Amino acid sequence: MVKAKRGSGGVAVPDKKELSGRMPIEDAGIPAELTLFLSQHIGAPSKPLVNAGDEVKRGQKIAEAQGAVSACLHAPTSGKVKAIEPRYQPVLGRVVDAIVIVPDGEHALYEGVAPVGDDLQAISQEKVREVVRESGLVGLGGAAFPTAVKLEHPPGKKIDTYLLNGVECEPYLTADQKLMEESAAGVVFGFRALMKGAGVEKGIICIEDNKPDAIKAMEEASKPYPELEVAVLSHRYPRGGEKQLIEAVLGREVPPPPGLPLDVGVIVSNVGTAYALATALKTGLPLVERIVSVTGEGVARPANLRALIGTPVSYLIDRVGGFSSSPGKVILGGPMMGVSIRDTEVSIVKGTSGVLVLPREAVETEPVLPCIRCGKCVEACPIRLLPVWIAAYAENDFMEDAEKMRAMDCIECGACSYVCPSRRPLTQSIRLAKAHIAAKRRAAAKK
Amino acid sequence: MADKLLITSSPHIRAAKTVRGIMLDVVIALVPASVAAVVFFGIKALSVLAASTISAVLAEYLYEKAVRRPVTVGDFSAAVTGLLLGLTLPPAVPLYVPVVGSVFAIVVAKQVFGGLGTNFVNPALAGRAFVLAAWPLHMTSAWLNPLTMDAATGATPLHAFKGGQAAGSLVDLLIGNRLGSLGETSAIAIILGGAYLLMRGVIDYRIPVAYLGTLGFGVFIFGKPGALFQGDPLRGILLGGALLGAFFMATDYVTSPVTPRGRTYMGIGAGLITLLIRYWGDYPEGVTYAILLMNLATPLIDKFVVPKYYGYAHDALARRKAKEGGR
Amino acid sequence: MNKRSLIGEFTKGLIEENATFKMAIGLCPTLAVTTSLVNGFWMGVAVVFVLTFSNVFVSILRKVTPDQIRIPVFVILIATPVVIVELVMKAYLPAMYQILGIFVSLIVVNCIVIARAEAFAYKNSLLRSAFDGLGIGAGFMIDLMLIGAVREFLGTGTITVGSVVLPPKPLFEPMSVMLTPPGGFITLGVLMTVLNIVFQRAAAKKAKTVS
Repeated sequence: MVKAKRGSGGVAVPDKKELSGRMPIEDAGIPAELTLFLSQHIGAPSKPLVNAGDEVKRGQKIAEAQGAVSACLHAPTSGKVKAIEPRYQPVLGRVVDAIVIVPDGEHALYEGVAPVGDDLQAISQEKVREVVRESGLVGLGGAAFPTAVKLEHPPGKKIDTYLLNGVECEPYLTADQKLMEESAAGVVFGFRALMKGAGVEKGIICIEDNKPDAIKAMEEASKPYPELEVAVLSHRYPRGGEKQLIEAVLGREVPPPPGLPLDVGVIVSNVGTAYALATALKTGLPLVERIVSVTGEGVARPANLRALIGTPVSYLIDRVGGFSSSPGKVILGGPMMGVSIRDTEVSIVKGTSGVLVLPREAVETEPVLPCIRCGKCVEACPIRLLPVWIAAYAENDFMEDAEKMRAMDCIECGACSYVCPSRRPLTQSIRLAKAHIAAKRRAAAKK
Repeated sequence: MADKLLITSSPHIRAAKTVRGIMLDVVIALVPASVAAVVFFGIKALSVLAASTISAVLAEYLYEKAVRRPVTVGDFSAAVTGLLLGLTLPPAVPLYVPVVGSVFAIVVAKQVFGGLGTNFVNPALAGRAFVLAAWPLHMTSAWLNPLTMDAATGATPLHAFKGGQAAGSLVDLLIGNRLGSLGETSAIAIILGGAYLLMRGVIDYRIPVAYLGTLGFGVFIFGKPGALFQGDPLRGILLGGALLGAFFMATDYVTSPVTPRGRTYMGIGAGLITLLIRYWGDYPEGVTYAILLMNLATPLIDKFVVPKYYGYAHDALARRKAKEGGR
Repeated sequence: MNKRSLIGEFTKGLIEENATFKMAIGLCPTLAVTTSLVNGFWMGVAVVFVLTFSNVFVSILRKVTPDQIRIPVFVILIATPVVIVELVMKAYLPAMYQILGIFVSLIVVNCIVIARAEAFAYKNSLLRSAFDGLGIGAGFMIDLMLIGAVREFLGTGTITVGSVVLPPKPLFEPMSVMLTPPGGFITLGVLMTVLNIVFQRAAAKKAKTVS
């Protein structure tokens, strides 16, 4: 077992995983309408291959990747394309084009969907990469970065370690935990396939110590493979962030943006991604569904659902018995980094790991008090920045000073805002600075 | 529509600790020292502490009413300031000393500069420095013998210690059976409070450890007149207000650096200045001025002591870039 | 700009353009000599005299003073009454001269005096300048006496004017710090705050009743 270090910064957050941690994964079923955004994540939008009125089947490719950072899309079920129209994408926070599918309820599989095989020896590295590309695989941890881009790293870089991220340090969320508990073998198979695709010899499965069942299952499943190890980390937010994980497990630090884990010889993927690749290899089914934790004190029966990509949030909440009390906030993702939405009619994307409902009384906003310079945000920052200064500069429109304090290195984990005893919106202020600086840099690049 | 969903920027949950909670923790941590003071110095001690605390809260309330700012006595910071100030006073001072000290601390040292979070020196210590300058006689002679509570003549143990004489048994020093200000007599009570604050994560261990370490080491070197390396570090720390200063004054958030390394420097600096004043100055005790001076140095420390940002350690190029970035 | 009556030129110096509390100029003597009411009074008298006469001289010669060398001219014009004050004080108030000492000579470079010469007397008629000097000087004198009284009362417990001591015995233990420079700064700051709040509120009230 790999011994993990403490790592920089971080905060102790409540666990809250007990809400949905014991619930087995169940199928969410087919909603009345699916919305598949052509922009599931940052990067170039994909290009639709179907037109309104076309019949599609489960697993059929409906949009093609475009550009370097992009992934293709597949129909999650059979039905008819109702329209390709602009719809509100909650994670990106803007309106983007989406393919709207009205399911016919038959759930008929596309003819082209065929298993590749379940013997990794017989599958070439090139084949793995092709499957990853063609399945529209993205990182299912939240940021939804196309996996193919990670595997097809430039030949000059020497990658020595592949980390499988099963940390799930966000409170409430249990999607990855349940996946590891219930489908450990599949996750390990997918992980080995990812390693093969990237040409990496050594793999470490990283799990926080608050998931003993998942640790046991993964240790069991990875035992036959000497190239795999399990690293158990203490529970501390944001341990599951890519950079923090690399620091804690390997003692390496990823260079600041635009530095990538590749630069220190590491690739990190989420357990959900590994499982999706396993599914794609064994059954031929591309990424059309994922595990979503629908949880929080505001839902009647917290659960882990296997939901089709594009399912409306309201449908998922109805599936778990609806709201238990007057809802205050509905969040896509976890409480630390998730996005709050104003309308439950929006649909989930590939990166949505959870739907969190907080009751009204839990989201009362407290008054913002003056900063008392307690330095808790400095202690909490996993990038070892000085949030207190960056936020103060941003609030007073000293964006250049904020930039000098490395505002752009911020990973927006929210730890500083979380610990602030004066309830100052530090993360928000730093985001503001980042947006300003990014806009300035874009303007400078244009010149 | 009343039940609209709330939209905010992440994170969507907050830690339980609030400013008010932190200040309450400090008050709780000061309870042992206050109780010890009352046990040793009786009703006199109680009246001094009550006068300083009540007048601090009242001063904050009246000032904020007068200048029409939101009243912030509810955050307990004024109560903390008043209580701390009271603990630094000799037991037999006339009651107008704590009252004037608290009013000065709250109005001049804190509120005039913008209230909690923007004061540049520790208000309690500024109040003490003011009354010390105003009534030096009271502040250096109004001692009481512990337990018997009769007026004490003669120097405090710290005076004797400065002269190189023995200064009471360690047990007496630890319990508090000696002359001294209200809050500085019982070392155990202060350490108890400090331990509580450390345990609750309210204060950073770096400042007290660096401060007391520097002070103890310096006393060991210079503590005995005429000879080096023969001082008594333990008595050097236990005598005077060093413990109270290290745990409760120097750790004041507003007037100490925000970075961990900066806090270490703050502790070392305060320790060195205390030594300077004790052994090369006229004055038997230098904790107040040492911490006040380091308060003034805090913005400087904050400017120059920044942590090594993540990811700059290994890559020479990134390091250079960071440097060009300004710092 | 010259809409004020002569009386207005005088009274503006008391509150509206008060040297110490409104414009915060001439602070060195304000802090240095105001350890008692009497000190403040005599320093004030000296400044009133100097300011009035320097204003008058500057105003008389304003049309023949070349712009380029006006400051040296001002200094000479100011130095004249200063020397008069100094010699008179030395002759008739030797004890007070001992206390005020250098600060009387330093009125030459007191920024109130130069500021009034430059900003007012150089542009205004003789009579106006005289009233302006009187008014600003009187305001300054009141400020000095006020600060002096507060510091003396807090620092010694009594206020002594000649043989009159009020209250006859200190009501409290005097705070020696008030007689030191920090005490001067603190008194100045606190008084400035309080008076400005009072003036502002009064002005706001007036504006309200007018409208």
